[in-house]
Amino acid sequence: MSESSAASRGMTIARWVIYALVALTVVLPYFVVFPTLKYKVSPESAKLFDKVNSLKPGAHVMIAFDYDPASSAELDPMGRAILLHCFKKGLIPVVMTHWSSGLDNDRKILAETAARAQEDMKRQEPFVSGRDYVFLGFRPGYSNLVLNMGENLKGSFDKDFYGQPTAAMSALQGVSQLKDLDLVIDLAAGASVEVWIAFGSDRFHFPLGVGSVAVQAPNIYPYLQSGQVCGLLGGLRGAADYEQLVDANGAAMRSMWSQSLAHVLIIGLILFANARMLLARYRRTGKATG
Amino acid sequence: MFFKRLTLPLIIVFAIGMAGFVQYYVPHPWSDAFQEEMTTWFRVIGGFALFLGAYSLLHMHVTRIRRAAPGWGYSVFVFIGAAAMIAVGLYNDGKGPLGPDQQKDWFDWGYRWVFVPCQATIFSILAFFIASAAFRTFRARNAAAVMLLVAAIIVMFGRVPINEGVSGWLFGQDHRQVFSGAATVVNEYPNMAAKRAIILGVSLGAIAQSLRILFGIERSYLGGGD
Repeated sequence: MSESSAASRGMTIARWVIYALVALTVVLPYFVVFPTLKYKVSPESAKLFDKVNSLKPGAHVMIAFDYDPASSAELDPMGRAILLHCFKKGLIPVVMTHWSSGLDNDRKILAETAARAQEDMKRQEPFVSGRDYVFLGFRPGYSNLVLNMGENLKGSFDKDFYGQPTAAMSALQGVSQLKDLDLVIDLAAGASVEVWIAFGSDRFHFPLGVGSVAVQAPNIYPYLQSGQVCGLLGGLRGAADYEQLVDANGAAMRSMWSQSLAHVLIIGLILFANARMLLARYRRTGKATG
Repeated sequence: MFFKRLTLPLIIVFAIGMAGFVQYYVPHPWSDAFQEEMTTWFRVIGGFALFLGAYSLLHMHVTRIRRAAPGWGYSVFVFIGAAAMIAVGLYNDGKGPLGPDQQKDWFDWGYRWVFVPCQATIFSILAFFIASAAFRTFRARNAAAVMLLVAAIIVMFGRVPINEGVSGWLFGQDHRQVFSGAATVVNEYPNMAAKRAIILGVSLGAIAQSLRILFGIERSYLGGGD
Protein backbone atom coordinates (compact mmCIF):
# COMPACT_ATOMS: atom_id res chain seq x y z
CA MET A 1 0.00 0.00 0.00
CA SER A 2 1.42 3.39 -0.96
CA GLU A 3 1.98 6.10 1.63
CA SER A 4 -0.70 8.40 0.15
CA SER A 5 -3.39 5.72 0.06
CA ALA A 6 -2.52 4.74 3.64
CA ALA A 7 -2.86 8.39 4.67
CA SER A 8 -6.13 8.63 2.77
CA ARG A 9 -7.42 5.47 4.48
CA GLY A 10 -6.38 6.86 7.86
CA MET A 11 -8.20 10.14 7.13
CA THR A 12 -11.35 8.25 6.07
CA ILE A 13 -11.34 6.29 9.30
CA ALA A 14 -10.70 9.48 11.27
CA ARG A 15 -13.59 11.17 9.48
CA TRP A 16 -16.01 8.39 10.42
CA VAL A 17 -14.77 8.49 13.99
CA ILE A 18 -15.29 12.25 14.08
CA TYR A 19 -18.82 11.92 12.68
CA ALA A 20 -19.63 9.26 15.28
CA LEU A 21 -18.25 11.39 18.11
CA VAL A 22 -20.19 14.45 16.97
CA ALA A 23 -23.39 12.40 16.74
CA LEU A 24 -22.75 10.97 20.20
CA THR A 25 -22.08 14.33 21.86
CA VAL A 26 -25.19 15.87 20.29
CA VAL A 27 -27.57 12.99 20.98
CA LEU A 28 -26.33 11.74 24.36
CA PRO A 29 -27.65 14.65 26.49
CA TYR A 30 -31.17 13.91 25.25
CA PHE A 31 -31.02 10.37 26.67
CA VAL A 32 -28.78 10.75 29.71
CA VAL A 33 -29.71 13.12 32.52
CA PHE A 34 -26.89 15.60 33.07
CA PRO A 35 -26.74 18.08 35.96
CA THR A 36 -28.37 21.43 35.20
CA LEU A 37 -25.95 23.90 33.66
CA LYS A 38 -25.74 27.13 35.62
CA TYR A 39 -24.60 30.14 33.67
CA LYS A 40 -24.94 33.88 33.57
CA VAL A 41 -27.08 35.41 30.84
CA SER A 42 -24.97 37.35 28.34
CA PRO A 43 -25.33 41.16 28.52
CA GLU A 44 -26.57 41.52 24.93
CA SER A 45 -29.39 39.00 25.58
CA ALA A 46 -30.29 40.76 28.84
CA LYS A 47 -30.55 44.06 26.95
CA LEU A 48 -33.22 42.70 24.61
CA PHE A 49 -35.13 41.11 27.50
CA ASP A 50 -35.01 44.39 29.44
CA LYS A 51 -36.30 46.28 26.41
CA VAL A 52 -39.29 43.96 25.99
CA ASN A 53 -39.87 43.91 29.73
CA SER A 54 -39.95 47.71 29.90
CA LEU A 55 -42.95 47.91 27.53
CA LYS A 56 -46.41 48.54 28.93
CA PRO A 57 -49.34 46.15 28.29
CA GLY A 58 -50.94 46.89 24.93
CA ALA A 59 -47.63 47.91 23.35
CA HIS A 60 -46.96 46.56 19.86
CA VAL A 61 -43.93 44.35 19.21
CA MET A 62 -43.31 43.38 15.60
CA ILE A 63 -41.39 40.11 15.26
CA ALA A 64 -40.01 39.41 11.78
CA PHE A 65 -39.40 35.68 11.35
CA ASP A 66 -36.84 36.16 8.56
CA TYR A 67 -35.70 32.55 8.20
CA ASP A 68 -36.81 29.17 6.96
CA PRO A 69 -36.80 25.68 8.53
CA ALA A 70 -33.04 25.27 7.91
CA SER A 71 -32.42 27.69 10.79
CA SER A 72 -35.32 26.49 12.95
CA ALA A 73 -33.09 24.83 15.53
CA GLU A 74 -31.58 28.16 16.54
CA LEU A 75 -34.33 30.66 15.77
CA ASP A 76 -37.56 28.81 16.64
CA PRO A 77 -36.71 28.75 20.38
CA MET A 78 -35.98 32.50 20.25
CA GLY A 79 -39.31 33.17 18.53
CA ARG A 80 -41.19 31.04 21.04
CA ALA A 81 -39.50 32.62 24.08
CA ILE A 82 -40.06 36.19 22.85
CA LEU A 83 -43.69 35.47 21.94
CA LEU A 84 -44.28 33.86 25.33
CA HIS A 85 -42.82 36.92 27.02
CA CYS A 86 -45.09 39.19 24.94
CA PHE A 87 -48.25 37.19 25.68
CA LYS A 88 -47.51 37.01 29.39
CA LYS A 89 -46.85 40.76 29.60
CA GLY A 90 -50.00 41.64 27.65
CA LEU A 91 -48.04 43.02 24.69
CA ILE A 92 -49.40 42.61 21.17
CA PRO A 93 -47.07 40.61 18.94
CA VAL A 94 -47.29 41.49 15.24
CA VAL A 95 -45.62 38.70 13.28
CA MET A 96 -44.49 38.89 9.65
CA THR A 97 -41.81 37.37 7.45
CA HIS A 98 -39.72 38.19 4.40
CA TRP A 99 -39.17 34.47 3.76
CA SER A 100 -42.12 32.71 2.14
CA SER A 101 -40.54 29.31 2.78
CA GLY A 102 -40.83 29.81 6.55
CA LEU A 103 -44.45 30.92 6.54
CA ASP A 104 -46.12 27.74 7.73
CA ASN A 105 -43.50 27.24 10.42
CA ASP A 106 -44.16 30.76 11.72
CA ARG A 107 -47.89 30.12 11.86
CA LYS A 108 -47.31 26.95 13.83
CA ILE A 109 -44.98 28.65 16.34
CA LEU A 110 -47.42 31.51 16.88
CA ALA A 111 -50.42 29.21 17.41
CA GLU A 112 -48.52 26.84 19.73
CA THR A 113 -47.02 29.65 21.81
CA ALA A 114 -50.40 31.36 22.17
CA ALA A 115 -51.82 28.06 23.44
CA ARG A 116 -48.88 27.58 25.82
CA ALA A 117 -49.17 31.12 27.18
CA GLN A 118 -52.88 30.54 27.81
CA GLU A 119 -52.07 27.34 29.70
CA ASP A 120 -49.20 28.89 31.70
CA MET A 121 -51.33 31.88 32.65
CA LYS A 122 -54.32 29.63 33.45
CA ARG A 123 -56.35 31.94 31.26
CA GLN A 124 -59.89 30.86 30.39
CA GLU A 125 -60.09 32.73 27.14
CA PRO A 126 -57.76 31.82 24.27
CA PHE A 127 -55.56 34.43 22.60
CA VAL A 128 -57.40 35.56 19.48
CA SER A 129 -55.84 36.56 16.16
CA GLY A 130 -56.66 40.15 15.29
CA ARG A 131 -57.35 41.07 18.90
CA ASP A 132 -54.46 39.73 21.01
CA TYR A 133 -51.95 39.18 18.24
CA VAL A 134 -51.53 39.68 14.51
CA PHE A 135 -50.07 37.34 11.93
CA LEU A 136 -49.44 39.40 8.82
CA GLY A 137 -47.73 36.61 6.91
CA PHE A 138 -45.50 37.17 3.90
CA ARG A 139 -45.21 39.86 1.26
CA PRO A 140 -42.44 40.10 -1.34
CA GLY A 141 -40.22 43.14 -1.63
CA TYR A 142 -37.66 42.88 1.16
CA SER A 143 -36.11 46.39 1.47
CA ASN A 144 -38.99 47.88 -0.52
CA LEU A 145 -41.46 46.19 1.78
CA VAL A 146 -39.72 47.73 4.82
CA LEU A 147 -39.85 51.17 3.16
CA ASN A 148 -43.51 50.56 2.31
CA MET A 149 -44.34 49.56 5.88
CA GLY A 150 -42.49 52.62 7.09
CA GLU A 151 -44.97 54.82 5.24
CA ASN A 152 -48.10 52.72 5.38
CA LEU A 153 -48.09 49.44 7.28
CA LYS A 154 -51.74 48.59 6.71
CA GLY A 155 -51.37 49.39 3.02
CA SER A 156 -48.48 46.96 2.74
CA PHE A 157 -50.51 44.27 4.52
CA ASP A 158 -54.12 45.10 3.70
CA LYS A 159 -55.12 41.65 5.02
CA ASP A 160 -53.49 39.41 7.57
CA PHE A 161 -52.51 35.81 6.86
CA TYR A 162 -56.02 34.57 7.66
CA GLY A 163 -57.66 37.07 5.30
CA GLN A 164 -58.91 39.51 7.96
CA PRO A 165 -58.65 43.17 6.83
CA THR A 166 -56.00 44.98 8.86
CA ALA A 167 -57.63 48.43 8.56
CA ALA A 168 -60.28 47.71 11.20
CA MET A 169 -58.25 45.24 13.26
CA SER A 170 -58.47 46.04 16.98
CA ALA A 171 -54.96 44.71 17.63
CA LEU A 172 -53.54 47.29 15.22
CA GLN A 173 -55.32 50.32 16.63
CA GLY A 174 -52.93 53.24 16.73
CA VAL A 175 -50.50 51.57 14.35
CA SER A 176 -50.31 52.88 10.81
CA GLN A 177 -46.55 53.08 10.24
CA LEU A 178 -43.45 51.33 11.50
CA LYS A 179 -42.66 54.22 13.84
CA ASP A 180 -45.91 53.52 15.71
CA LEU A 181 -44.53 50.16 16.82
CA ASP A 182 -42.88 50.08 20.23
CA LEU A 183 -40.25 47.56 19.20
CA VAL A 184 -39.29 45.50 16.16
CA ILE A 185 -37.33 42.28 16.60
CA ASP A 186 -35.76 40.64 13.57
CA LEU A 187 -35.06 36.92 13.85
CA ALA A 188 -32.57 36.61 11.03
CA ALA A 189 -30.85 33.82 9.16
CA GLY A 190 -29.75 36.04 6.29
CA ALA A 191 -28.95 39.67 5.58
CA SER A 192 -32.29 41.02 6.75
CA VAL A 193 -30.78 42.78 9.80
CA GLU A 194 -28.95 45.29 7.60
CA VAL A 195 -32.17 45.84 5.63
CA TRP A 196 -34.14 46.53 8.82
CA ILE A 197 -31.44 48.94 10.00
CA ALA A 198 -30.79 50.84 6.76
CA PHE A 199 -34.36 51.04 5.47
CA GLY A 200 -36.27 50.67 8.74
CA SER A 201 -35.01 51.80 12.14
CA ASP A 202 -32.51 54.42 10.94
CA ARG A 203 -35.08 56.01 8.69
CA PHE A 204 -38.35 55.67 10.60
CA HIS A 205 -36.92 55.75 14.12
CA PHE A 206 -38.10 52.73 16.07
CA PRO A 207 -36.11 50.48 18.42
CA LEU A 208 -34.76 47.34 16.77
CA GLY A 209 -33.73 44.12 18.48
CA VAL A 210 -32.08 41.19 16.76
CA GLY A 211 -31.99 37.43 17.14
CA SER A 212 -29.61 35.83 14.71
CA VAL A 213 -28.03 32.49 13.89
CA ALA A 214 -24.68 32.07 15.66
CA VAL A 215 -22.62 32.26 12.49
CA GLN A 216 -23.95 35.73 11.79
CA ALA A 217 -24.01 37.13 15.33
CA PRO A 218 -20.48 38.66 15.22
CA ASN A 219 -21.64 40.83 12.29
CA ILE A 220 -24.22 42.50 14.54
CA TYR A 221 -21.83 43.71 17.26
CA PRO A 222 -20.96 47.03 15.52
CA TYR A 223 -24.68 47.89 15.36
CA LEU A 224 -25.12 46.90 19.00
CA GLN A 225 -22.31 49.19 20.13
CA SER A 226 -23.56 52.09 18.01
CA GLY A 227 -27.04 51.75 19.54
CA GLN A 228 -28.69 50.92 16.21
CA VAL A 229 -29.63 47.56 17.71
CA CYS A 230 -31.01 47.53 21.26
CA GLY A 231 -30.27 43.89 22.07
CA LEU A 232 -28.96 40.72 20.49
CA LEU A 233 -29.69 37.04 20.88
CA GLY A 234 -26.82 35.16 19.24
CA GLY A 235 -27.51 31.58 18.18
CA LEU A 236 -28.81 28.82 20.39
CA ARG A 237 -27.03 30.29 23.42
CA GLY A 238 -28.93 33.56 22.94
CA ALA A 239 -32.18 31.61 22.72
CA ALA A 240 -31.29 29.71 25.92
CA ASP A 241 -30.53 33.03 27.63
CA TYR A 242 -33.97 34.37 26.75
CA GLU A 243 -35.68 31.12 27.79
CA GLN A 244 -33.90 31.35 31.13
CA LEU A 245 -35.01 34.97 31.56
CA VAL A 246 -38.67 34.21 30.84
CA ASP A 247 -38.51 30.91 32.73
CA ALA A 248 -39.59 29.01 29.64
CA ASN A 249 -37.37 25.91 29.93
CA GLY A 250 -37.57 25.34 26.19
CA ALA A 251 -35.66 23.55 23.47
CA ALA A 252 -32.63 25.87 23.61
CA MET A 253 -31.98 25.33 27.33
CA ARG A 254 -32.35 21.59 26.84
CA SER A 255 -29.81 21.76 24.00
CA MET A 256 -27.08 23.52 25.99
CA TRP A 257 -25.39 20.28 27.05
CA SER A 258 -25.34 19.08 23.41
CA GLN A 259 -23.85 22.35 22.25
CA SER A 260 -21.34 22.47 25.10
CA LEU A 261 -20.11 18.94 24.48
CA ALA A 262 -19.95 19.45 20.69
CA HIS A 263 -17.87 22.62 21.12
CA VAL A 264 -15.55 20.91 23.60
CA LEU A 265 -15.18 17.99 21.17
CA ILE A 266 -14.27 20.28 18.27
CA ILE A 267 -11.75 22.17 20.44
CA GLY A 268 -10.30 18.85 21.57
CA LEU A 269 -10.00 17.64 17.97
CA ILE A 270 -8.25 20.85 16.90
CA LEU A 271 -5.80 20.64 19.82
CA PHE A 272 -5.17 16.93 19.15
CA ALA A 273 -4.51 17.52 15.45
CA ASN A 274 -2.11 20.38 16.25
CA ALA A 275 -0.31 18.37 18.91
CA ARG A 276 0.12 15.55 16.36
CA MET A 277 1.46 18.03 13.79
CA LEU A 278 3.92 19.55 16.26
CA LEU A 279 5.07 16.09 17.37
CA ALA A 280 5.65 15.04 13.76
CA ARG A 281 7.57 18.26 13.12
CA TYR A 282 9.67 17.71 16.25
CA ARG A 283 10.47 14.14 15.17
CA ARG A 284 11.46 15.28 11.66
CA THR A 285 13.69 18.02 13.11
CA GLY A 286 15.19 15.51 15.54
CA LYS A 287 15.97 13.06 12.72
CA ALA A 288 17.48 15.80 10.56
CA THR A 289 19.74 17.09 13.34
CA GLY A 290 20.43 13.57 14.71
CA MET B 1 -32.08 53.16 -32.30
CA PHE B 2 -29.07 54.47 -30.33
CA PHE B 3 -31.39 56.78 -28.40
CA LYS B 4 -33.76 53.94 -27.46
CA ARG B 5 -31.02 51.48 -26.65
CA LEU B 6 -28.66 53.69 -24.67
CA THR B 7 -29.69 57.31 -24.09
CA LEU B 8 -33.28 56.69 -22.95
CA PRO B 9 -32.38 54.00 -20.35
CA LEU B 10 -29.62 56.25 -18.99
CA ILE B 11 -32.05 59.18 -18.68
CA ILE B 12 -34.60 56.96 -16.89
CA VAL B 13 -31.96 55.60 -14.49
CA PHE B 14 -30.63 59.10 -13.76
CA ALA B 15 -34.09 60.63 -13.26
CA ILE B 16 -35.50 57.85 -11.06
CA GLY B 17 -32.24 57.44 -9.15
CA MET B 18 -31.92 61.15 -8.40
CA ALA B 19 -35.62 61.34 -7.45
CA GLY B 20 -35.11 58.46 -4.99
CA PHE B 21 -31.97 60.11 -3.63
CA VAL B 22 -33.54 63.56 -3.19
CA GLN B 23 -36.75 62.08 -1.79
CA TYR B 24 -34.83 60.72 1.22
CA TYR B 25 -34.00 64.25 2.37
CA VAL B 26 -37.37 65.89 1.72
CA PRO B 27 -39.84 65.47 4.61
CA HIS B 28 -42.98 66.38 2.65
CA PRO B 29 -46.22 64.36 2.12
CA TRP B 30 -45.65 64.43 -1.66
CA SER B 31 -42.21 62.99 -1.14
CA ASP B 32 -43.61 60.23 1.10
CA ALA B 33 -46.37 59.47 -1.41
CA PHE B 34 -43.79 59.23 -4.19
CA GLN B 35 -41.72 56.79 -2.16
CA GLU B 36 -44.75 54.66 -1.32
CA GLU B 37 -45.79 54.54 -4.96
CA MET B 38 -42.29 53.65 -6.14
CA THR B 39 -41.71 50.94 -3.54
CA THR B 40 -45.10 49.41 -4.33
CA TRP B 41 -44.11 49.29 -8.00
CA PHE B 42 -40.75 47.75 -7.12
CA ARG B 43 -42.53 45.05 -5.12
CA VAL B 44 -44.95 44.32 -7.97
CA ILE B 45 -42.11 44.05 -10.47
CA GLY B 46 -40.11 41.98 -7.98
CA GLY B 47 -43.01 39.52 -7.78
CA PHE B 48 -42.40 38.61 -11.41
CA ALA B 49 -38.90 37.51 -10.45
CA LEU B 50 -40.57 34.51 -8.79
CA PHE B 51 -41.89 33.39 -12.19
CA LEU B 52 -38.49 33.97 -13.77
CA GLY B 53 -36.83 31.96 -10.99
CA ALA B 54 -39.30 29.09 -11.36
CA TYR B 55 -38.89 29.10 -15.14
CA SER B 56 -35.10 29.15 -14.85
CA LEU B 57 -35.07 26.26 -12.37
CA LEU B 58 -37.44 24.08 -14.35
CA HIS B 59 -35.68 24.87 -17.64
CA MET B 60 -32.34 23.81 -16.16
CA HIS B 61 -33.77 20.49 -14.99
CA VAL B 62 -35.57 19.85 -18.30
CA THR B 63 -32.20 20.26 -20.01
CA ARG B 64 -30.54 17.85 -17.56
CA ILE B 65 -33.21 15.22 -18.16
CA ARG B 66 -33.17 15.70 -21.95
CA ARG B 67 -29.40 15.31 -22.08
CA ALA B 68 -29.44 12.44 -19.56
CA ALA B 69 -26.75 14.29 -17.59
CA PRO B 70 -25.24 12.43 -14.62
CA GLY B 71 -27.78 12.48 -11.78
CA TRP B 72 -30.69 13.37 -14.10
CA GLY B 73 -32.97 11.17 -11.99
CA TYR B 74 -32.81 13.76 -9.21
CA SER B 75 -34.17 16.32 -11.67
CA VAL B 76 -37.27 14.16 -12.13
CA PHE B 77 -37.94 14.56 -8.41
CA VAL B 78 -37.88 18.35 -8.83
CA PHE B 79 -40.87 18.03 -11.18
CA ILE B 80 -42.63 15.46 -9.02
CA GLY B 81 -42.20 17.65 -5.93
CA ALA B 82 -43.17 20.87 -7.69
CA ALA B 83 -46.20 19.31 -9.42
CA ALA B 84 -47.44 17.65 -6.22
CA MET B 85 -47.16 20.81 -4.11
CA ILE B 86 -48.73 23.04 -6.81
CA ALA B 87 -51.60 20.56 -7.27
CA VAL B 88 -52.44 20.23 -3.55
CA GLY B 89 -51.94 23.99 -3.10
CA LEU B 90 -54.45 24.77 -5.83
CA TYR B 91 -56.84 22.05 -4.63
CA ASN B 92 -56.69 23.61 -1.12
CA ASP B 93 -58.66 20.80 0.50
CA GLY B 94 -61.52 21.23 -1.96
CA LYS B 95 -61.84 24.99 -1.45
CA GLY B 96 -59.92 25.90 -4.60
CA PRO B 97 -57.07 28.36 -5.09
CA LEU B 98 -59.20 31.38 -4.18
CA GLY B 99 -60.79 29.79 -1.11
CA PRO B 100 -59.66 30.42 2.48
CA ASP B 101 -56.36 28.82 3.47
CA GLN B 102 -56.85 25.42 5.14
CA GLN B 103 -54.58 24.70 8.08
CA LYS B 104 -54.57 20.93 7.97
CA ASP B 105 -54.61 20.18 4.29
CA TRP B 106 -52.20 18.13 2.16
CA PHE B 107 -50.09 21.17 1.39
CA ASP B 108 -49.55 21.69 5.10
CA TRP B 109 -48.68 18.00 5.48
CA GLY B 110 -46.11 18.19 2.68
CA TYR B 111 -44.58 21.31 4.16
CA ARG B 112 -44.43 20.05 7.71
CA TRP B 113 -43.37 16.45 7.15
CA VAL B 114 -41.27 16.66 3.97
CA PHE B 115 -39.95 20.18 3.40
CA VAL B 116 -39.12 21.06 7.03
CA PRO B 117 -37.26 17.80 7.87
CA CYS B 118 -35.35 17.91 4.55
CA GLN B 119 -34.18 21.49 5.10
CA ALA B 120 -33.34 20.87 8.75
CA THR B 121 -31.38 17.74 7.83
CA ILE B 122 -29.32 19.45 5.15
CA PHE B 123 -28.38 22.27 7.51
CA SER B 124 -27.70 20.05 10.52
CA ILE B 125 -25.15 17.87 8.73
CA LEU B 126 -23.03 21.01 8.59
CA ALA B 127 -21.98 20.24 12.19
CA PHE B 128 -20.32 17.02 11.03
CA PHE B 129 -18.50 18.73 8.17
CA ILE B 130 -17.31 21.58 10.40
CA ALA B 131 -15.94 19.17 13.00
CA SER B 132 -14.16 17.12 10.33
CA ALA B 133 -12.82 20.19 8.50
CA ALA B 134 -11.60 21.76 11.77
CA PHE B 135 -9.71 18.58 12.61
CA ARG B 136 -8.11 18.27 9.18
CA THR B 137 -7.26 21.89 8.34
CA PHE B 138 -7.07 24.08 11.46
CA ARG B 139 -3.30 24.08 11.97
CA ALA B 140 -1.04 26.55 13.78
CA ARG B 141 1.43 26.81 10.89
CA ASN B 142 2.36 30.50 11.37
CA ALA B 143 1.76 33.44 13.72
CA ALA B 144 -1.46 34.55 11.99
CA ALA B 145 -2.86 31.00 12.11
CA VAL B 146 -1.97 30.77 15.82
CA MET B 147 -3.90 34.00 16.51
CA LEU B 148 -6.90 32.71 14.57
CA LEU B 149 -6.73 29.40 16.40
CA VAL B 150 -6.55 31.00 19.84
CA ALA B 151 -9.41 33.42 19.04
CA ALA B 152 -11.55 30.57 17.69
CA ILE B 153 -10.99 28.42 20.77
CA ILE B 154 -11.73 31.31 23.14
CA VAL B 155 -14.99 32.16 21.34
CA MET B 156 -16.06 28.54 20.89
CA PHE B 157 -15.50 27.74 24.54
CA GLY B 158 -16.62 31.11 25.89
CA ARG B 159 -19.99 30.90 24.16
CA VAL B 160 -21.14 27.60 25.70
CA PRO B 161 -22.45 27.42 29.28
CA ILE B 162 -20.06 24.67 30.35
CA ASN B 163 -17.24 27.24 30.35
CA GLU B 164 -18.52 28.78 33.57
CA GLY B 165 -18.28 25.49 35.44
CA VAL B 166 -14.74 24.93 34.16
CA SER B 167 -13.78 28.51 34.94
CA GLY B 168 -15.18 28.22 38.46
CA TRP B 169 -13.30 24.96 38.98
CA LEU B 170 -10.02 26.42 37.69
CA PHE B 171 -10.12 29.95 39.10
CA GLY B 172 -12.66 29.76 41.93
CA GLN B 173 -16.42 30.36 42.09
CA ASP B 174 -15.95 34.13 42.16
CA HIS B 175 -14.33 33.97 38.73
CA ARG B 176 -16.83 31.92 36.73
CA GLN B 177 -16.87 34.42 33.82
CA VAL B 178 -13.19 34.26 32.84
CA PHE B 179 -13.77 32.39 29.55
CA SER B 180 -17.07 34.05 28.68
CA GLY B 181 -15.48 37.42 29.47
CA ALA B 182 -12.56 36.62 27.17
CA ALA B 183 -15.02 35.63 24.40
CA THR B 184 -16.86 38.93 24.90
CA VAL B 185 -13.58 40.86 24.63
CA VAL B 186 -12.72 39.06 21.36
CA ASN B 187 -16.20 39.78 19.98
CA GLU B 188 -16.40 43.39 21.12
CA TYR B 189 -12.91 44.62 20.23
CA PRO B 190 -10.90 42.85 17.50
CA ASN B 191 -13.99 41.34 15.84
CA MET B 192 -15.92 44.60 15.94
CA ALA B 193 -12.98 46.63 14.65
CA ALA B 194 -12.57 44.28 11.69
CA LYS B 195 -16.31 44.09 10.99
CA ARG B 196 -16.68 47.87 11.16
CA ALA B 197 -13.84 48.33 8.69
CA ILE B 198 -15.45 45.83 6.33
CA ILE B 199 -18.90 47.45 6.65
CA LEU B 200 -17.46 50.93 5.99
CA GLY B 201 -15.45 49.65 3.01
CA VAL B 202 -18.42 47.84 1.49
CA SER B 203 -20.68 50.86 2.06
CA LEU B 204 -18.25 53.27 0.42
CA GLY B 205 -17.92 50.84 -2.49
CA ALA B 206 -21.70 50.65 -2.82
CA ILE B 207 -21.98 54.46 -2.83
CA ALA B 208 -19.26 54.74 -5.48
CA GLN B 209 -20.92 52.07 -7.62
CA SER B 210 -24.33 53.74 -7.25
CA LEU B 211 -22.90 57.08 -8.39
CA ARG B 212 -21.23 55.38 -11.36
CA ILE B 213 -24.60 53.87 -12.38
CA LEU B 214 -26.51 57.13 -11.79
CA PHE B 215 -24.13 59.16 -13.96
CA GLY B 216 -23.97 56.55 -16.71
CA ILE B 217 -20.31 55.59 -16.16
CA GLU B 218 -21.21 52.00 -15.28
CA ARG B 219 -23.38 50.60 -18.08
CA SER B 220 -22.92 46.85 -17.86
CA TYR B 221 -26.52 46.45 -16.60
CA LEU B 222 -27.67 47.52 -20.07
CA GLY B 223 -26.09 44.37 -21.51
CA GLY B 224 -23.68 44.02 -24.39
CA GLY B 225 -20.57 45.10 -22.48
CA ASP B 226 -19.45 48.63 -21.64
